[in-house]
Amino acid sequence: MLKNKKVIALLCAAFALVLFAAACGSDDNDDASLLEEVQDRDTVRCGVRDALAGFAVLADDGTYSGFDIEFCRVVAAGVLGDASKVEFVPLETADRFTALQSGEVDVLIRNTTWTATRDGQEGANFLFTTLYDGQGFIVSADSRITSLEDLEDANICVAQGTTTELNLTAVFNARGISFNPVVLDSNTSLQEQYEGGQCESYTGDASSLATYKFTSERDGGPAQYVIPEVISKEPLGPVVADGDTAWAQAVNWSVMATVQAWEFGLDSSNVNSYDGNDPNIANFLGAIDPQIEGLSTDFAKNVVSQVGNYKEIYERTLEPLGLPMEGSRNKLWTDGGLLYTPPYR
Amino acid sequence: MSTTSPDDLRSSHLGTSTPSFLSAFFRDARTYRAAGQVLGVALVVLVIARLTNNLYGNLDRLNIPSNFDFIYQPTNFAIAENWGFDTTLPRWRMLLIGLQNTILAAGGGIILATILGTVIGIARLSSNWLVSKLSTFYVETLRNIPPLVVIVFFSIAVFSSGPFPVFREAAELKLPFSDSNWLILSNSRIGFPSFSAERNIGAFWLLFGMTFLFAACMWAWRTLKSAKTGVPHRRLQWSLGIFAALLVLWFFLLNGPYDWSWPSRTENGRRLASGFGASSAYLSVTLAVAMYTASHIAEIVRGAILAIHKGQGEAATALSLSSYQRYRFVILPQAFRRIIPNLINQYLNLTKNTSLAVAVGYAELASLTQTSIGNGAPAPQSIILMMCGYLGLSLIISLIANVVNRSLQLKDR
Repeated sequence: MLKNKKVIALLCAAFALVLFAAACGSDDNDDASLLEEVQDRDTVRCGVRDALAGFAVLADDGTYSGFDIEFCRVVAAGVLGDASKVEFVPLETADRFTALQSGEVDVLIRNTTWTATRDGQEGANFLFTTLYDGQGFIVSADSRITSLEDLEDANICVAQGTTTELNLTAVFNARGISFNPVVLDSNTSLQEQYEGGQCESYTGDASSLATYKFTSERDGGPAQYVIPEVISKEPLGPVVADGDTAWAQAVNWSVMATVQAWEFGLDSSNVNSYDGNDPNIANFLGAIDPQIEGLSTDFAKNVVSQVGNYKEIYERTLEPLGLPMEGSRNKLWTDGGLLYTPPYR
Repeated sequence: MSTTSPDDLRSSHLGTSTPSFLSAFFRDARTYRAAGQVLGVALVVLVIARLTNNLYGNLDRLNIPSNFDFIYQPTNFAIAENWGFDTTLPRWRMLLIGLQNTILAAGGGIILATILGTVIGIARLSSNWLVSKLSTFYVETLRNIPPLVVIVFFSIAVFSSGPFPVFREAAELKLPFSDSNWLILSNSRIGFPSFSAERNIGAFWLLFGMTFLFAACMWAWRTLKSAKTGVPHRRLQWSLGIFAALLVLWFFLLNGPYDWSWPSRTENGRRLASGFGASSAYLSVTLAVAMYTASHIAEIVRGAILAIHKGQGEAATALSLSSYQRYRFVILPQAFRRIIPNLINQYLNLTKNTSLAVAVGYAELASLTQTSIGNGAPAPQSIILMMCGYLGLSLIISLIANVVNRSLQLKDR
């Protein structure tokens, strides 16, 4: 009996010591940049969705595809020189910032809206906006709902812990339209509720609604109608944790390379064979070394040749799902769009 | 030394020299036990301090607030089961709504589970083959399915894609010879009849309280009288009868403070205009946890009844008590003492299981905490608050149940 007690006491002490050591050890390399850690690990852990058509979809064979996924690969190509070195971490909407803060993921590319509160209170650092979006509403076509006012007293499906939830409340309260939110944390459950008729409308980013409408109608679902009014600004882009400039810059320049390449007319088919004499393009492809920590001189070439430029990514992932680039703000500044990168020199 | 004291003699006789204070201290087993305790506590405190320090360090590094100021920020998001909640109110009010919804789900669940569990527990002992087999089937299936699965089953299979129509085309069950509905069935809300407060509410509740006190006095008087004279006390009949009669009297004297309202829908068919509406999320959670817990309660009830010595039942039969009387006066009163402590456990489990409502979007404490975290509230502090909420609920349930338990235990006289 006594012997047992001693063993238990010893075990407890050992356990406590391990805990203690773990607690001590965890902040030893606080000052080191995530950049070095990522390069040592030789993979980028990217926080994504897994069931949002066009943005991030996990296929039956275990591969991910979509707009957000392509930008994860862009980061890997830029920082590690190999677009395939990505570990995708599927996250629920409400857990995404916790995952980023705790270092579970290196970068969050999960159609996340840039807001002041998130920049401040969530310890998040929002980088280059990859998609200019806004919040819309979808209803079934035979409901004859055509405006927000028609949604008086309606049940509205909305994802938990999103800016969508806040916009919905703010706009409807301001206009004095009463409504009843149905709040769930996964897109799949929300769509189930919407399709089951428990919500008259489903609200989210207009881009997500467009891809949902497209896939659902393609798969034989009832006709859908997206209310034309867009109630908010939703700039979506990659997010990293606050306080790590080196890592943030490496991710940011990798992502911006896709837009810059488009502006220069470079794409995955011609970037390796470029032999023109434009000094700006030559600089972009490695003639100068801007010495951005963690990025090799030819990082832009890697990004464009392995993943493609912005237009290629967009046309590969979003256009086939009924989200044309034409008519959106996601065009080069030279075409009247909002995609504008700092000069590369 | 020329003289030897008796003490020295004794110690030399025992073969030990007089120990110094220090060596006695170090050779005392109690010293080591105490030192072990101190070391243990120190280690635990150190680990906790280290972890806390680590948490605060990391929060500071990321510029995330490490205080609780966020509970005074406006909530800014709408809640489904909101009880008239204004979204500009601070977050702590929103968390209280969550707690209230948790209590509603847990309360409804506890009442249903107790009734259902008791009935099924007794039914399992029935001599009727069908009844006992059906209840065995119920217990064995429900007990072996995780509560989350039961909740999702109710939400998806029963409400979402089950037999219920959408609210716009809700099934309205009419009263005979009338246009009023007594029930409105749909897959998002079920409408029940309800009371609506109309007039003289304050006066009615004042009279209610006074009547209650009067009835309690009546109870005490009958108890005392019975103890003194030996006449049957019949205190329940006396106090309840007077209580009910007076309430009816006040109700009519005050011109009907409450009106009975039948459920009906608004013209656009999207909301209940009158009656009480329970959302499908609430019903999913409450029914699911109640049915799940009932399977456990049934086993507790059955076990407690079987634990009563067979002779008790036989003696009751020998006194020619009927089957009902045998249970009511002999077996159940004894079984209850064994049931209560286990029942407390089940109530606590049920309360904690309501947090699974996150999966179906019922706005209870865990769900609202998650929403709040997603909308900018710092996670560690929010989780701590949520834990305090559940801890408080559990402690209150334990307290109530323990008081009941103590009053039911056999007392040594």
